[in-house]
Amino acid sequence: MANLRLENVTKRFGPITAVKALNLEIRDGEFFSILGPPGAGKTTTLRLIVGLEKPDEGTVYIDGEPANEIHPGKRDIAMVFQNLALYPDKTVFDNMAYPLRERKLPKDEIERLVQATAKSLYIDHLLKRKPAKLSGGERQRVAIGRAMVRKPKAYLLDEPLANLDALLRLEMRVELKRLQGELGQTLVYVTHDQVEAMSMADRIAVLNKGVLQQCDTPEAVYNFPANRFVATTIGSPPTNFVTADVRPHGDNLLLAHSVFALAVEGGRHPARAALESAAAGQALPEKVLIGFRPEDVRVSTSQANGCNVPAQVSVVEPLGGETVVDLRMGGDLVKAVVPPTQRLEERRHVWLNFDPERVHLFDARTGQRVYTTGQGEPFACLEAVH
Amino acid sequence: MYQTRPWQKVLRYFTIIIVSIMFFFPTYWMITMSFKPKGEWNSAAGTIYWVPQNPTLDNYKTVLTEYRGQFFRANQSSALPSIRSSIVVSIGGTLFALLIGTLAAYGISRHSTDTGDLPWYIAVGRLGLLVLVMLPFIVLWARLGILATWYGILTFTIIGIVADQIIGRVLGKYYKGAVGSLSFSILQLRMFPPMAILIPVMIMWSTFRLIDTWYGLVIVYGVVTFPFVVWLMKSFFDDIPKELDEAAVVDGSSNWRAFFKVVLPLAKGGLASTALFVFILNWSDFLVALLLTSRNWGTIPVFLNKLVSSEIGAQHGPKAALGLLAVIPPVVFGLLIQQYLVRGLTFGAIKK
Ligand SMILES: Nc1ncnc2c1ncn2[C@@H]1O[C@H](COP(=O)(O)OP(=O)(O)OP(=O)(O)O)[C@@H](O)[C@H]1O
Ligand SMILES: [Mg+2]
Repeated sequence: MANLRLENVTKRFGPITAVKALNLEIRDGEFFSILGPPGAGKTTTLRLIVGLEKPDEGTVYIDGEPANEIHPGKRDIAMVFQNLALYPDKTVFDNMAYPLRERKLPKDEIERLVQATAKSLYIDHLLKRKPAKLSGGERQRVAIGRAMVRKPKAYLLDEPLANLDALLRLEMRVELKRLQGELGQTLVYVTHDQVEAMSMADRIAVLNKGVLQQCDTPEAVYNFPANRFVATTIGSPPTNFVTADVRPHGDNLLLAHSVFALAVEGGRHPARAALESAAAGQALPEKVLIGFRPEDVRVSTSQANGCNVPAQVSVVEPLGGETVVDLRMGGDLVKAVVPPTQRLEERRHVWLNFDPERVHLFDARTGQRVYTTGQGEPFACLEAVH
Repeated sequence: MYQTRPWQKVLRYFTIIIVSIMFFFPTYWMITMSFKPKGEWNSAAGTIYWVPQNPTLDNYKTVLTEYRGQFFRANQSSALPSIRSSIVVSIGGTLFALLIGTLAAYGISRHSTDTGDLPWYIAVGRLGLLVLVMLPFIVLWARLGILATWYGILTFTIIGIVADQIIGRVLGKYYKGAVGSLSFSILQLRMFPPMAILIPVMIMWSTFRLIDTWYGLVIVYGVVTFPFVVWLMKSFFDDIPKELDEAAVVDGSSNWRAFFKVVLPLAKGGLASTALFVFILNWSDFLVALLLTSRNWGTIPVFLNKLVSSEIGAQHGPKAALGLLAVIPPVVFGLLIQQYLVRGLTFGAIKK
């Protein structure tokens, strides 16, 4: 069991800053996921934790001890590399025995541990083969086995399921979750697949361009994304964004889009305070981004109660379990997820009806989230003339 | 396939035949010559002996045994010492170059921050600057009379290395490339033909009493072939994913053990071909051995050159015999390591 902590860690490669002033704490026994697009600095973060890279600034703590100067082999942390890095000239057995042999364990002990680990991963019939003669999923298991066999304090897995086919990925996902539950060890899981992160992790750190965007539980990251990047990364299809003008209207504020407007009613509405503080000062920002998830939008052919926004169907993508609809709303393209039973033809005029409890406001310049209706008072909805 | 006209076919076969003759006739001539008795060596009498008329093993006996008399007025000994010398210095030089070159190549492959090859004008410019900077020192050292003493050579070398590094740094300010890096210095070594360094080496070697010793030759062979080893082995190491040694390090190996237990076994094919290449270079060297040996450690090429008698001129028969014998070691070596001369050992290490 290990507690891993990065304090203000920066890593540069020449002109590139791969990781920038990163603060992370990974708790004992936690299934922790690092999520980000290619080049976000995910691998670099793992390499910093295991000690293959030295931070240019900041400190890595393992169980509260500063570890910057500790050799990777002495950190008792196992890593499964993005490309697996199996020793190609050694058999599966020798691959898995390698860390034990480096620890000078007696022969029969090595034999016993490798056999036991191989059995728990269902690869005990492959021990005599070389990696080249294994399937992708089997190699994956061998790499995980090589990490498990020495019972380390913590596991670092770098996109372990990338490059596996979809079905196998699903299977391995469940199995990894099971393994982690059994081992009860700290596990850091790097992925660029938000579904993997959401479905497996206790907490998720979202990384972009070396900068930590948000670090929280899957629910929190989904429901209260810290900024536009997180809102786009988490959830599929991504959150819709439309730009609205901020107009004072007597005591009220109008967030006016070309085809609809949200009214922030009363001078004491918390959204007003939030917008004011985001604009740094008393002045209100001129524009604001309104964000809402495709799942929170209903599409109907007649007006319903609540906020009705006119739109036109652009593309319909049936996915089987659900249907994703691209809609033209004023000048913006937005997506909605509707039940597969709902029939919608392209170019049809419809009404969008979104959940007023689940609307986010984002700062138009910085992309930071400033207000979420779910947390406070909702908005009134005004339909624009068109 | 495109259409081949008859005359094209004729031309093609004609070319093949001509080239084949150019390549194989000398070999044929050498083989037959080695079995010809003295009388058939020359066509002075007007006859050309296309095949030996009276095949004999005398030529082999001549080069392999202590033989005085008929051919050799002078106290000419057999070729055996030169064969021994060739084997010792070629293998020694190869091992020396492999030892330091492989380690250097690994270091460069894994730790160099080089972004790519230098443009030639930067490389040549750096070398030229070094020569300019060092010229006054040569004059000064000569004035002081320490140019050919061990401490003179030592101080001169140290100043040279320091100057080289300073030049590298200064150039590095203007050219954001690999200037000042280790691999550049090795590239620079490659730019010297052995001839260019041999005269100074002769002076140094006689000062250090390394002339006509096996280790004197081993050092020169090692240094001359070192850049080849570095550049060949670097390309082999570059093909091995660095995650493999990193995995070993994370698994508890020291950096040295990761190299010897994980990386080197994967590079043994490359190591074998590099060894063969360097061995052949050393084995066929004439110039270095000619200048740095005298009585005791002359190699086969040097001995071949001396196979001349005042009475009948060049000893063609023994020369051919020894030449044929000299082909054997590289061929045997090549056959022995043939199984390692394969690439693709790293298949299966990483997912594609
Ligand atoms: N050894 C290195 N030398 C130079 N640049 C590097 C090095 N390692 C990483 N980088 C750069 O640092 C940035 C972060 O790289 P990193 O490998 O951590 O990204 P990643 O999030 O793992 O991406 P991916 O999803 O593609 O694996 C990238 O821009 C990359 O080019
Ligand atoms: Mg990566």
